[in-house]
Amino acid sequence: MLNRFCKNTKFKLQGGACRCLKGYFLPALICLVITAKSDISIAQNSTLKQSAQSGRVNGTVVDEFNVPLQGVHVSLKRKADSTSTNINGQFSINAAAGDILTFNCKNFYVREVKIKGGDTLSVHLIPAYLKSADKADVLYGTTDRASVLGSISTVYTNQLTTTPASLYTYALPGQLPGLYTQQISGFTAPPTGGQTQPDFIGNVVQHNNYSPNDNNEISLSLRGQTPITIIDNVQREISSIDPESIESISVLKDGLSTILLGNNSSRGVLLITTKRPEAGKPRISLTAQTGLQQPLGLPTPLPAYQYSYLYNEALQNDGKPAIYTSSDFNAYRNHTDPIGHPDVNWFNTLLQNYSPMTSYRLNVNGGTQIAKYTISVNYLDQQGMFKTASSSLYNTNNDLNRYMINSDVNVNVTPKFNIDLQLFGRVQQMTQPGAGYNNILNTLYTTPNNAYPIYNPNGSFGGTALYTNNLLSQAEYSGYERTNSNDVLANLDLSYDLGSITKGLSAKGKGNLSFSSQSFINRSLQNNAYLYVDSGYSAIGSPVAQNNVFNTVSSARYAYAQGSLDYQRSFGKNNVSAMALYDYRSQVLNFDLSQVSTNQALKAAYNYDNKYFVEAAVDNSSYNRYPPGHQFGLFYAGGLGWQMGKENFIKDNLKWIADWKWRLSYGKTGNANVDNYGYYNFLQTYTASQGYAYTTGTARGNVQSVLENGFANPFITWEKAHKLDIGTDIGLFNDHLKITADYYHDSYYDLLQIRGASIALLGASYPYENIGVNLYTGGELSVTYQNNAGSFNYFITGNASIQSTKIVYSDEEPTPYPWTKHTGEPVNAIYGYKATGIFQTAQEAASSPTTVGYTAQAGDVKYADLNHDGVINQFDVTAIGNTRPLFFYGTTIGFNYKGFSFSAILQGVANRQILYDNALINGFSGVGFLGLVYSGQGYNVLSDRWTPETANTATMPRLSLGNANNTAYSTLYVRSGSYFRLKNAEIGYSLPAGWAHKISVSGVRIFVNGENLWTLYGYKGIDPEVYGIAYPIQRVFNAGINVKL
Amino acid sequence: MKGYKTLIFALAVIMVIAGCKKYEQFPVDKVTISYIFDPKDSAGVNAQEFLYGIYAKMKNGHNRVGGDYLDASSDDAMSSAFGPANEATILSTAAYNSYTIPTDENLWAYYYQGIRSANEFVDNIDVVPVLAKYNGYSIKYLWKSEARVLRAYFYFELVKRYGGVPLLGNKVFTLTDNLQLPRNSFDDCIKYIVSECDAVKDTLLTTPFSNPNADSHRVTRGAALALKARVLLYAASPLFNGGNIDPSNPLTGYSNFDASRWAQAAAAAKAVMDLGTYSLVGNYKDIFLTQNNPEIIFMRQGDNGNSIETANGPVGFTAAVGKGQTSPTQELADAFPMNNGLAITDPASGFDSNNPYANRDPRLTYTLLYNGAQWLNTQLQTYEGGQSKPNSTLQQTQTSYYMRKFMGNFESSNSYSGHNEDWLIIRYADILLDYAEAQNEAVGPDASVYQQLTALRQRAGIQPGADGLYGLKAGMTQDEMRIAIQNERRIELAFEESRYWDIRRWKIAETIMNQPRKGVSITQSGTGFLYNDINVLTTKFVSPKMYLYPIPYDEVLKNPSMKQNPGW
Repeated sequence: MLNRFCKNTKFKLQGGACRCLKGYFLPALICLVITAKSDISIAQNSTLKQSAQSGRVNGTVVDEFNVPLQGVHVSLKRKADSTSTNINGQFSINAAAGDILTFNCKNFYVREVKIKGGDTLSVHLIPAYLKSADKADVLYGTTDRASVLGSISTVYTNQLTTTPASLYTYALPGQLPGLYTQQISGFTAPPTGGQTQPDFIGNVVQHNNYSPNDNNEISLSLRGQTPITIIDNVQREISSIDPESIESISVLKDGLSTILLGNNSSRGVLLITTKRPEAGKPRISLTAQTGLQQPLGLPTPLPAYQYSYLYNEALQNDGKPAIYTSSDFNAYRNHTDPIGHPDVNWFNTLLQNYSPMTSYRLNVNGGTQIAKYTISVNYLDQQGMFKTASSSLYNTNNDLNRYMINSDVNVNVTPKFNIDLQLFGRVQQMTQPGAGYNNILNTLYTTPNNAYPIYNPNGSFGGTALYTNNLLSQAEYSGYERTNSNDVLANLDLSYDLGSITKGLSAKGKGNLSFSSQSFINRSLQNNAYLYVDSGYSAIGSPVAQNNVFNTVSSARYAYAQGSLDYQRSFGKNNVSAMALYDYRSQVLNFDLSQVSTNQALKAAYNYDNKYFVEAAVDNSSYNRYPPGHQFGLFYAGGLGWQMGKENFIKDNLKWIADWKWRLSYGKTGNANVDNYGYYNFLQTYTASQGYAYTTGTARGNVQSVLENGFANPFITWEKAHKLDIGTDIGLFNDHLKITADYYHDSYYDLLQIRGASIALLGASYPYENIGVNLYTGGELSVTYQNNAGSFNYFITGNASIQSTKIVYSDEEPTPYPWTKHTGEPVNAIYGYKATGIFQTAQEAASSPTTVGYTAQAGDVKYADLNHDGVINQFDVTAIGNTRPLFFYGTTIGFNYKGFSFSAILQGVANRQILYDNALINGFSGVGFLGLVYSGQGYNVLSDRWTPETANTATMPRLSLGNANNTAYSTLYVRSGSYFRLKNAEIGYSLPAGWAHKISVSGVRIFVNGENLWTLYGYKGIDPEVYGIAYPIQRVFNAGINVKL
Repeated sequence: MKGYKTLIFALAVIMVIAGCKKYEQFPVDKVTISYIFDPKDSAGVNAQEFLYGIYAKMKNGHNRVGGDYLDASSDDAMSSAFGPANEATILSTAAYNSYTIPTDENLWAYYYQGIRSANEFVDNIDVVPVLAKYNGYSIKYLWKSEARVLRAYFYFELVKRYGGVPLLGNKVFTLTDNLQLPRNSFDDCIKYIVSECDAVKDTLLTTPFSNPNADSHRVTRGAALALKARVLLYAASPLFNGGNIDPSNPLTGYSNFDASRWAQAAAAAKAVMDLGTYSLVGNYKDIFLTQNNPEIIFMRQGDNGNSIETANGPVGFTAAVGKGQTSPTQELADAFPMNNGLAITDPASGFDSNNPYANRDPRLTYTLLYNGAQWLNTQLQTYEGGQSKPNSTLQQTQTSYYMRKFMGNFESSNSYSGHNEDWLIIRYADILLDYAEAQNEAVGPDASVYQQLTALRQRAGIQPGADGLYGLKAGMTQDEMRIAIQNERRIELAFEESRYWDIRRWKIAETIMNQPRKGVSITQSGTGFLYNDINVLTTKFVSPKMYLYPIPYDEVLKNPSMKQNPGW
């Protein structure tokens, strides 16, 4: 049976050193254990028979699932003899005891085995960490990697599974050239309010068609654009797929690779391909792992006595009387009066040091030639960092609880007709404290240590008139809120071989339906706090009894249909392929009208002898959110390629060059992002329902009032881009060393902006118009070297990307000074004043220009007066940060030796700058009515403040309770965002096969890994990625076991 | 088998045809202009709602400027939330330029939106066949007149801030129109506003309303005339009439002084008085709490609530939370005379600096909350460390005074409850003061001038005195009378967005606002208190440029025809 499969398989491997029977990476599926055992016993019997021959060594080579590997190159070290394994993984070679056999198979680690004599060998090969596939995933199919003309980078399963996290996006930093990542939160942010139209606009997803997205933790930017996520050839914004069930993640970076998306082709694609079923013995893989998360980058709050001292200093600086006396300082310092003079470290009070994260994964793959299937089951429980009260009957901590099932059944109905049905289901439950974790974090960051005692003497919650909602009560006794999210996705693929009409022709059809709904349950409550004065308690705050409120957050329906005709044929050395494609995508969000986009595309490629390549595509694409009559647009792309390595002058002279391909692609692409700029904004509308209500008469009749909405733009259309990519792929020294380099020049134009000459006399707000031009250029380089010394296999792969951006045209209002212009500056530049130091003396302050209306003193920030008009104002604002090209890089190193494995991902960013939230730096801000009462928390950075004594060393201005001059955006608050991280590392050990077999399994692997293990960054108490008041980034230590049946 | 396939094909065709239903291409629930001004809507429901949209563009002055009253930027008060980000402080300390003027006083674009809405209404209402009639005509003409008065009011709000501004007429601009318009002269603007008020005054409702239940918010004939009176008063004032900060610049005022402008202002105020429909209400406190009272001429409808107390009420009450936003100054407290009408500086007044709040003009008690005042069933404690001035980090009074005006009568309550929070733009007392001021300038302190002041003092509860002049000095000179009127205006209209503009149009802001603001520090001494005036804020005013606001920076850049005001 296996034999027949091998003959029938259409999966042609090219250029590989060996031919492996199975897609070793492709997932395993169930099969009954009985079937499995019978397969193995057959194999063993035949092995025994062959080992009877004398003078020869016989054996079987199998993979982790004990599945035989065909075509493994078996050679004798230091001797000429070699052979290959047969269809049953068996080999036979002339060898004597003491000889060393080397087993070599593409995408597996090389293994050497010393022959002890007389044995029948059973050799287990372990899949290599880095895979180099012959096929590349492209939009709506696969193609030979050798014929790819675009810029595509790919990572495979093993590169994803070492990262212990809730989303696969966590595994991407540093691994894909061109993909820049920044983590923005350390925990998923569950949506709670009913999402309405405005929420979807430019908010939930920056992706073309707004849709609910489960990734609110890692922001992705592919060559400067937010990529569209396409999973198994259907656009879905899902980031929580089990990494073990993912075959590969690719980024499609150039215009030719994405052109089939038509009016959405500008932004690049994150292409996820899940594992397909493979016929054969069932392969069952079970992983259980549990980890501990530790928040990073928390600031250090000042103890109460320091806080009160510095607060007095700030008051005195502002010319106000001090409010703390020396006896207050003593009480704070000595903790003699914990009620009247509390000193509460709220971070320690509310947060736990470690919080667990556990996940279980089951993957099954297998089947027969006729029917194959794969099932992936995944459970994850990630807990948040808040402490909980033992008396609470329910969990109040942040918690993400998720079940996922992904299954795929592939049936060959007839030899020509194939049906593939994929079903995906996900149930998520996201819990947070009733007060809302974001509110709690905000309050936590702004509540000083001396604000109020946690508890009063009688056990009631402490509080004051300013702090009416006790923090501990918010974190542990405020009930809970829960967001439930359910997704179902069904995907049907049909393919029919039309070879009877003409050879090489086939037809494909695809239908996809998915549903997503989220609902919110509010079971929050608020407790009274009590102010304890003179032995009496007065209740403060506004207690709320436990709510029981339910609302729908969102409900979405997506439908996608695709039909295509494919043609692929070779005429001698002439290889031709072509495709005609039609697709239709519709989305319905809540009660909104459906959004429909369609593509009618033609794509054709030709190459001569796999040496000279040409490819072109054209797409007539529509989106129904544009004005009627202006919904269709034409997008096109083309590419050229030259496999220089196949030319004789290289083949004959430079044998160490295995491959050297040049490629060039161009695309005219589109970005249909109109929904991010308003709702049907080609229609001039008047708002009735959300307008200002006006009450009339003494009865205050509440009359609806209507006003004109912002101006419509009846000419609005998609943003466009010219994208050019030039690249080369080089393989040297038998492909041990691989180099890929790319240069790109992407010019985005017709960007939606508001015109500069927006004169207010119009009396209405101006619409977005297709005006702007931004240029993104850059280069990417990736280098991979892998080799072995005996059974010691090692690899190093690194990539680096540089990206330069420029605002080429922006309809700016006229400005009298060139340095205030944004045109010509990088797209993400930070603007502000240039701080030139701190005034050291009153004379210096008096004789220098300062901000409007401000009388500077010694200790205030001094700014550069760029236009020399004696005052610091809008004319002195210029680009002060992120003006250099962004540089980011990553490297993965690792080795494997006889079951021991190690891998580490290091990742870094340079030339990045951040405008650090100066409210946290300056301290005392952000409490009370409108946040204008300056009695917020202070952190240890305040000790760097200017005082007359520390004038020479101070890096921060003098303390003040809200000083517009000193808190203005300036270079003082621009900090380096460059960092270098040990992002991930894993050590694993596969138990010897013999041990595993004793407990009737194919393999057992134990591993420990970690995330964000070590960071090199210049500022203490701040994380370079998640900074400000946000859920902190987590360091994770994780351990687990993987069992393969 | 073949028949089977044919059947499937036929079914498919049928399904395709049956599936060809129309569906909504774009949202038809989006309201379009033909829906608003509907040629078939004889009730004009939607058009009237559009008119309410214009009404809603009037600003409600309660807590308007960054949470403060505008007058917290004058010499009458300061914001308890004072600081560099506080809008009231930015205005009172001259910490703004054409780019950074605080949002809530950056109303250039806002009022042009209002003007656009009014123009749209004026241009389109004619197509709506409204059947309901008023005075024999369709009430759409009444609505149209209301829109025109509102438009004139929006222009006035611009002119008092910027001087002359571009007049757009009835034009509703589109994206392709040339919007690089120059400013019209100050004179043009005043003439336009006055002519609009005159043009529509006879097609408006008159008071008393036949149905106040439904109509009390409406612009009336009295409102149009009162607006005209105020506009002419401003135009006749020194800032524009003889004291133009850029004497030859027609945008910033008149190039000459003309006493007849005062006479016109007096006549316009007289015209309102002669309507005979307005009068002073008996109790000063009721002006702001009683709806549809005869003193209200022009107002912006508010809610029934207690947001004024929540924002401005004294701190220290757990059952009646107030944030003490407004800190009235000692200068304002000192401006109130004794209840015999004599200023506290008058040796004969009987003022006792150790018991400063006794026997004062009752309006003091209605305007300010001071130490010892009755409030929420207690004697208010604003002495240092007292319940309402704890000197903690809590926002609290900086001057030992809280604002009392506009609040409900909560002297004997334990908590706050809802009450009328309408914003009175022009009330009858304004008109009397307008008349007195204009008449004094045009003619001199004749009996009619005295008459207005005594009427206000009588209503306030000041003792008439033997001469019946309520403490006013008999036979004042014009200058003396000017001082008396200015003081009366200050205390009668405190916190009503009068003082802030008055010190500008009288051109006295440069003197007044370049002095430190004062509060009082009260310390307990045995059973009594010690009162010490303290400086609480250093205000600043840059003369002459700050007499007018700068045109927003962007507008000047984008529009070469837009001339900036002098000094900015």
